Amino acid sequence: MSNSINALSLWLVVVWPLLLVIPALHSRLPSPRHLAILPAALLAVMPGDASHVLPWLMFGTGLSIEGDSRWILLMAVTVWLAAATVCNKQLAQNRSTVLFLLTLTGNLGVILAADLVGFFVFAALMGYGFYGLLVQGSDVAVRRAARLYLIFLIIADLALFEALLLAAFATKELQFAAVQQAVTETPLYLWLVFAGFVLKAGIWPFHLWLTAAFKSASQSALLLLGGAPVAMALLGMERWLPLGDTAVYAMGTVAQVVGVAALLYATLRFFTHMQMKTLPAWGLVATSGIFVAFIGTGLTYPAVWQQYEYLAYPLIAALGLLPTLVVIIARLEGRHQTTDVQLVDVSISWAAGWGRLIQQWLTKSLAGVQALAGFFETKALELPQYLHQWQTLLDDAERRLRRWTVAITLLSLLALAVALLAIG
Amino acid sequence: MNWNAWLPLLMVASSLLPGLVIFGLGEQRFRLRTALNLSGALAKLALVGWMLWGVYHGQHFETRLPLLPDLDLVLRAGPLSLLFVTLSAGLWLLTTIYAIGYLEGSPHRSRFFGFFSLCVTATVGVAMSGNLITFLLFYELLTLATYPLIVHRGTEEARRAGQSYLVYTLCGGAALLLGTVWLYTLTGTLEFTPRGFIHAVGEEHHLALVVIFILMIGGLGVKAALVPLHGWLPKAMVAPAPVSALLHAVAVVKAGAFGIIRVVYEVFGVERAAMLGLTGPLAVVAAVTIIYGSVRALFQDDLKRRLAFSTISQVSYIALGVAIAGPIATIGGVVHLVHQGLMKITLFFCAGNLAETLGIHKISEMNGVGRRMPWTMAAFTVGALGMIGAPPIAGFISKWYLGLGALEVGQGWVLLVLAGSSLLNAAYFLPILYRAWFRAPADAWPHEHDFGDKETAWALLLPPVITALLALGAGLLAAAPFSPLEWAQLISQREFYQP
Repeated sequence: MSNSINALSLWLVVVWPLLLVIPALHSRLPSPRHLAILPAALLAVMPGDASHVLPWLMFGTGLSIEGDSRWILLMAVTVWLAAATVCNKQLAQNRSTVLFLLTLTGNLGVILAADLVGFFVFAALMGYGFYGLLVQGSDVAVRRAARLYLIFLIIADLALFEALLLAAFATKELQFAAVQQAVTETPLYLWLVFAGFVLKAGIWPFHLWLTAAFKSASQSALLLLGGAPVAMALLGMERWLPLGDTAVYAMGTVAQVVGVAALLYATLRFFTHMQMKTLPAWGLVATSGIFVAFIGTGLTYPAVWQQYEYLAYPLIAALGLLPTLVVIIARLEGRHQTTDVQLVDVSISWAAGWGRLIQQWLTKSLAGVQALAGFFETKALELPQYLHQWQTLLDDAERRLRRWTVAITLLSLLALAVALLAIG
Repeated sequence: MNWNAWLPLLMVASSLLPGLVIFGLGEQRFRLRTALNLSGALAKLALVGWMLWGVYHGQHFETRLPLLPDLDLVLRAGPLSLLFVTLSAGLWLLTTIYAIGYLEGSPHRSRFFGFFSLCVTATVGVAMSGNLITFLLFYELLTLATYPLIVHRGTEEARRAGQSYLVYTLCGGAALLLGTVWLYTLTGTLEFTPRGFIHAVGEEHHLALVVIFILMIGGLGVKAALVPLHGWLPKAMVAPAPVSALLHAVAVVKAGAFGIIRVVYEVFGVERAAMLGLTGPLAVVAAVTIIYGSVRALFQDDLKRRLAFSTISQVSYIALGVAIAGPIATIGGVVHLVHQGLMKITLFFCAGNLAETLGIHKISEMNGVGRRMPWTMAAFTVGALGMIGAPPIAGFISKWYLGLGALEVGQGWVLLVLAGSSLLNAAYFLPILYRAWFRAPADAWPHEHDFGDKETAWALLLPPVITALLALGAGLLAAAPFSPLEWAQLISQREFYQP
């Protein structure tokens, strides 16, 4: 690609949706939300790498795309297209369209940002835009979730801003590669970056806004939750931290612990609070926990990271798509209004059904062997009762688990740590 | 006397002459008054453009008129003075347009615009003064020209605010005068010089220099609203919105902050000030002011009062940048002179629009106002986010250079101050934005004026939209030629750190 086409194709991805923010423009166009994604979709399928820097923009900011980030861009295009299509009516209001386009610009800019400043600027735009999308509903629970998200976002941005300053002090070049090499001797930078992105991604124990949002936010916000704030924060971790170069033991270990804790906690909550709308939330918390543990491993063992680095982008892309897929499937099945998964009743009817089936099968096939058949028949008839007893026992256990999830997670972590130490 | 020697004087005269003529105009001479106001403002802008080009290419502009034996009245256009002059001239034009719309149909407009022009004349004089005595003259003229604007409404509250303003600023002026005279007895000169002019003063005058510095910074600190000398500023918010905009963004507080820059860099010299142990305490005072102003802003329901406390906090970034005493922090402090002006004037214009159009004065009355006045609130949002330091708005650039400058000279604690201030700024600005954009509007506004199908009068709407775009542009195009940041870098290179 020639330089000018490079520049045009890259900058159009962020400039075009930003232009469409102007009400006089988007109100005159058919499907402005779909049109806004068009340059990004084209760039995602265009072959070859591209990069371009505008020296007069901010401190000299640029955009770039290469093989790995193309996957993330494809994920983002899919998620945003889904949101624009599925929630066409919800987003029809002028204010919703403006917020949608601002968040979209931020999200695409984050993916294409070639340096830390660009990433930070676009992430801020995305974050505040997404807050607007989240808070739109008049529901109290949504507002609470949005408020929490905003508080975490502001604190995260402050931490990342301070990290940016430390990076700029350590090296004049703010491209990702240059910073990754320069900051290994600046532990405060590493901690600030980690804390900032943990807050932004809603990693355990800062997942409260994420699960609350899943319970009550609008469908457009739900569709974007994985692809916009969570996936981009994990992308930030991957790009801002010095992975695969120098071992950073202390932070790597902390990241591993946080990641595993998030996974354990989300898994426990997943099985104890089975609600249709929060299933993707716990899925997200668990998956992002796996990613953080992966990052932690990369920080602790650079060689491991170099070997498995290629997994990072597909994992982020999958994580971004997760809530979108769940929401779309639920919508297609017309079950998105369902709240509680009827675990107990379903299990009992399942058990009773199987019991009857076994009973019939035994009665018919073992008719000649009366004694044996009678024995099986009796036992088969008692099976639902046994299962019910087990079910009651498990229910009790789950009720206890619900009360003690955090404690059990921490205990499990401790056990895991002891086991690891023992193995070590 | 060549042409370049006249230009600084012309710059001052471009607002003084229209102002004097306006004083003599009758109330009904609306068109002539408007023409004089706008032609003066446009002429000043044209002169600024000319001088900017000249100074950028190394030309020298200086007017020197005899004042007292051995003391001249000196007007000089260097990079630093032109930065302040450009800000004043640009925002004067917009504030004039705004004031024309704001005061439409109200009494005493000739008096108002007369003093308004005098006020800008004094500000330009302060900016271009080439020595301390010229600075002092225009500084006091600014005090006197602003007083009638504060009491313009003629209410008891306005009178009390004006009285408070006068007491504070005249005491500040007296301290500055005392410091100036004392310094003159030690140095025999008052000429602003890069790296200061007190080199010849020996160590035996250490205590005298410290006291002079305290007197001068104390005097200037009144207008710059350094805690505990800030008391007049929140009271002065009773003035009409264009005056508040002028006080907070263009003239008064900026004259104080600009004076601090002059005293630290061109009177004492930053190295000498640091050697005397003066920059550290100044940085602490600025930091305390930043946090104190933000904390006080948190608890105000009156919109203009909240903005006033925000000014107290934000203007001290300039003093902090100067006191950190490094080239990068200097850039941060100096560029914030412009950035804060753009953002704060936007906020005051918007506050004025809300008051004039819907009768909204309190934050608790702002529910859903974004739907009724989207352009005004969009401009307000840009200004507020810029104050928080959200990228890519101008405030982000200022905080970037202040933080980086602090790291450069090993004063990491400044990062905590910046973070704390940003957090507090978010805490007092974001709830306003939430109310305006996401809350349901009230059934009726407190006192709605009819502007037909328009949001408000164009003269009220245009200035905040332009200043908001300028604030956004100053951040987004920070590295572009002739941006405030580039100009601040030029100042840092040319004036402060040349051997």
